[in-house]
Amino acid sequence: MNTAICLDRDGVLQALHDVIDPELGYNIVDLGLIYELQVDGGVVEITMTMTTPGCPAQDYILSGVYERCKSLPGVNDAKIHLTFLPAWSPRLMTPVAKAHFGIHE
Amino acid sequence: MTVLSNRLSRWTLPIFGCALVNFVAAQGLILAGVTWPARSVSAPGTLAAVHLLVIGWLLLLMLGALFQFVPVITARPLVSQSLALATLIALEAGLVGMVGGFFAIGAGHPALAMALPAGGAVVSLGVLIGCWNIGIPLLRSRPLSLPGRMVLTGMAFLLLTVTLGFSFALAVTVPALAPYLAPLLAGVSDHALAGLGGWFTLTAMGASYKLLPMFMLAPEERGIAGKAAHVLGTVGIALAVGAGVAREWSVAEPLRVAESMGYAAVATAVAAFLWDIVRIYRTRKRAVIEAHNRAAIAAFAFLGLGSALAVGFVMTDHPRAGAPVIVFIVVFGWLGGLGLTQLYKIVPFLTWLSRYGISLGRGVVPRVQDLVRERRSYPWFALYFLGVLLGAVFGLSGSSHGFRACLVLITLATLGLVIEYWRAWRGHYAQLLHGESSTPPFLPTHRG
Repeated sequence: MNTAICLDRDGVLQALHDVIDPELGYNIVDLGLIYELQVDGGVVEITMTMTTPGCPAQDYILSGVYERCKSLPGVNDAKIHLTFLPAWSPRLMTPVAKAHFGIHE
Repeated sequence: MTVLSNRLSRWTLPIFGCALVNFVAAQGLILAGVTWPARSVSAPGTLAAVHLLVIGWLLLLMLGALFQFVPVITARPLVSQSLALATLIALEAGLVGMVGGFFAIGAGHPALAMALPAGGAVVSLGVLIGCWNIGIPLLRSRPLSLPGRMVLTGMAFLLLTVTLGFSFALAVTVPALAPYLAPLLAGVSDHALAGLGGWFTLTAMGASYKLLPMFMLAPEERGIAGKAAHVLGTVGIALAVGAGVAREWSVAEPLRVAESMGYAAVATAVAAFLWDIVRIYRTRKRAVIEAHNRAAIAAFAFLGLGSALAVGFVMTDHPRAGAPVIVFIVVFGWLGGLGLTQLYKIVPFLTWLSRYGISLGRGVVPRVQDLVRERRSYPWFALYFLGVLLGAVFGLSGSSHGFRACLVLITLATLGLVIEYWRAWRGHYAQLLHGESSTPPFLPTHRG
């Protein structure tokens, strides 16, 4: 098994498709919750948001992101930063997610 | 990374369970024929059933929801998870005393009737604890958003409602206090307006303003209609209740005018709120909405119906004639209906948090939507709201048998929905999807 294949930005983003926002029932990447993602050596640094401040699932989603990153080959640590600036809105969804929710803009 | 779960209200699900048991018990009293319309509105059975409904069902439901909801709108934790349990115990214990006290008064047992004020005191204690638990994070989060302000206003009316109710209990059971408090007894409608309008309706409006846009991806900014609903509702109810109570001691004309102006302001607030709700539904970005939001439309319609009927009865100078039916519509159609529909989302969501949240990022987890089968809920919601509508018609016509027949529909629908909540909590449908077999903890498994 090639242990170097996942440790790039696209690989981490692809892995984070496995983490869902439980209320909306959709992955956090296509929902647009990931604002920034950097990979530096074996460290993944992510700045992300929630669909609403005080979201009851917030701690579980942050934990899920951390655990998914740590499960990737070559990742030694993951730093997750939560921000609500700018506030999330459905406009941040990818076209795939917008189509899923029937959003036409 | 350790999962911090202080955003999960650990006693909310048990509180919901107790509330549903009380709801079905109250329906049982109505079916047994010991309440209005088979008996008078002031019959002990009626009073027992009404308090089972408003304290046992609606108050527990609202507080249980707020224990989870207030940390969402304030981004601050409750004062204590344990205080939520204390609230549950006090409200349940006090309610048992109150219901027993009502029946003791009916049976002519003055000594046992003291259970009414004693139970009322314990309920008041539970309310104070509950208000403390959610009031502190609210007060520490100023300036508050509109939903937060509405909840805080609602809590002030809750304290007023409890104070009036406790005064009634003392007036009817403590002879030495009767001369001072007896005039208040004519103000039962003020007690009901403060509770159903000031507390439950304003708070439910505030919760709707946060949750509906969140679930349907609609704009959260409410503008003038939301502010009008809050201000007019608050001022109107305060005016109507204040003038109404004062009129028990004075027949001054300005008090009558003030009371009428208060009712007019409340009706305008309801109209503004419903207009705003229509706007939320129409401006939502989520094309296909979930069952709880679809079914909630009927609850909003019952709020409009109750308000329209109230206006109609007041304008024809027969406000007391329509009061029982309006209370029925508000308790079962608006508040009860909204509660049952929102439980269909909240129960699976809390179940997901307590059962699957820890597994997120470590493997495949179901969505909240996988914990329910929405198509199974629609017949129960339809049956419930049909029962309420027909019950209101039979209530207006004074047909006790017809009204109780409608209660059969309502009870069947309630039990059907309870089974669906149970299946969601047990992960019944998720098991079918993922082949799981474990049951989530109903009671908290660790301290908060």
